[in-house]
Amino acid sequence: MTWSRLLRAELRKLTTTKMPLAFFAVLVVISGLTATAVIAGTDFDGSKGFISTSADQRSLMAFAANATMGASLFGAMAVAREYSHGTVIPTFLASPRRHRAMLAQYGAVAIVAALLGLLGALLTVAAVALALPTTDYGFLVSAADVSRVCAASAFAGAIGGLLGAGIGAIVRNTGGAVAGAFFTLMVAPPLLVQMANDMGSWVPSTLVNVLSGVEAEVPAADQVGIVAAIAALLAWALVPAAIGLLAVQRRDVA
Amino acid sequence: MAEVDVRPAQTGDPGPGPSGGGLSLEVANLTKRYGGNTVVDDLSFVARPGRVTGFLGPNGSGKSTTMKVMLDLASAEHGGATIGGQRYRDLPDPAGTVGALLESNAFHPGRSGRDHLRILADAAGTSSDRVDEVLELVHLDDAADRRVGGYSLGMRQRLGFAAALLGDPPVLVLDEPANGLDPQGMHEMRDLLRSRAAHGHTVLVSSHLLAEVELLADDLVVIHRGRLVAHGSLEELQEDATLVRSDSIAELRQVLEASGADVQPDAEGAIVVRGLSIAAIGDQAFAAGIALHELSPHAGSLEARFLRWTSAAATHDRPDDTEVTA
Repeated sequence: MTWSRLLRAELRKLTTTKMPLAFFAVLVVISGLTATAVIAGTDFDGSKGFISTSADQRSLMAFAANATMGASLFGAMAVAREYSHGTVIPTFLASPRRHRAMLAQYGAVAIVAALLGLLGALLTVAAVALALPTTDYGFLVSAADVSRVCAASAFAGAIGGLLGAGIGAIVRNTGGAVAGAFFTLMVAPPLLVQMANDMGSWVPSTLVNVLSGVEAEVPAADQVGIVAAIAALLAWALVPAAIGLLAVQRRDVA
Repeated sequence: MAEVDVRPAQTGDPGPGPSGGGLSLEVANLTKRYGGNTVVDDLSFVARPGRVTGFLGPNGSGKSTTMKVMLDLASAEHGGATIGGQRYRDLPDPAGTVGALLESNAFHPGRSGRDHLRILADAAGTSSDRVDEVLELVHLDDAADRRVGGYSLGMRQRLGFAAALLGDPPVLVLDEPANGLDPQGMHEMRDLLRSRAAHGHTVLVSSHLLAEVELLADDLVVIHRGRLVAHGSLEELQEDATLVRSDSIAELRQVLEASGADVQPDAEGAIVVRGLSIAAIGDQAFAAGIALHELSPHAGSLEARFLRWTSAAATHDRPDDTEVTA
């Protein structure tokens, strides 16, 4: 009962501000850009080779990497602004066992971020489907592959949201949390790969491509199975989430 | 800690009248440090059911920190606080037991007042009908669907007050609740708090508006630099001085000061004596052969007493020496 009412409260928090609408607007813009690329874009040789095969079209539709990044910003902002607005105080007064409130917040962020990831994938698929009739190519991706792309995007959204929420709980400052999420997903992975080349298969952008069934840019990534990719993505999200959970329990609420 | 029933019957009304089963709020030997700075220093007091306890102290004296420790928002280095014998976090229904107003601006500016309360009601397991009740109680029903970012300070304060009342709790902990309220709002808040205390609830109110506290509080807890400097009923603390009139006022003053009393001149030619009982003053005067024309308990303004308590504490290395307990 405690869990369900805290989760309901956290979901209401996320849905009673304009932040989800702002992220939805970004998704619409991204899908619009994708449609424009299909309609007007060409390869270097002037052909439309980038949409000529099922694999090419699936790669264009794969939204999971975008979902991870966008959802991480969403999660970071959702949690960090609780501190900047002081709304964390009534939250912890209602649930002085803070880990419960934080787990509910993580859960709510993951749910909404997964929905945003799914919506992003659906909008992108729709954009490609609507734009393809303006070209010489038809819609070549099977329903099963579309489903996989959408499922991967939803999962990537949840992972990104959880990662961002954890960083938000650690940093407690909206700007700092957004910068932290950006660093974790965009700056740290290339640095890791530079230090250890094998790490290229285990960075989030590669792992979500494995889930989407998209050809990876890192050759060794082909040897990463779906279960291993899911486990690795969970680790990327759960480490900051766990640190955030511990930090929230130990620190005073300013 | 002994197990106690921490939830008296919950109704929309404060209850049927004073009860012996209310919940005391007890702070015991509380010490809190930030870095090397001791913000609260071995503080102990009790806020009792059926009473409004005013919690006074200059800015930065540790009032808000003490309230945060009470509500498990901050940890103490030593000692702690209990509500009905239990720590806040151990209460079976914390939000339904203690209503708190700690920050006047703890709202998301883009969210409506009604949604803010609905979120709290969801988290606390309170009926959503109660949201409408408290909005009406604080006269925010007309503005409930407006974004909080457009509220005035007084409206935000009333929303915070509504949040504190949401669970109809038997204990209220309010940090500067009168901030930003207009005279009508202050009057209504005072009536509401007095009504809740009259029905056996425990009310702890911090404030720097001394005149407001004087009208509201039954008991006072005064702290300075984190240490207790006065604690007792307002009535008793008001009588900690004696007004003395005599034709030989200069001579009497010398006699009383020689006995260790604090003697201050009154605007009307009398003297106000502290540190000696009325009987002792009378005895001293009799022994010195000085005729007295008046010897009566003196109730000065709360502001004057507050300044005396805090300035006396500031001039002592050991503020313990200045503590007044009535």
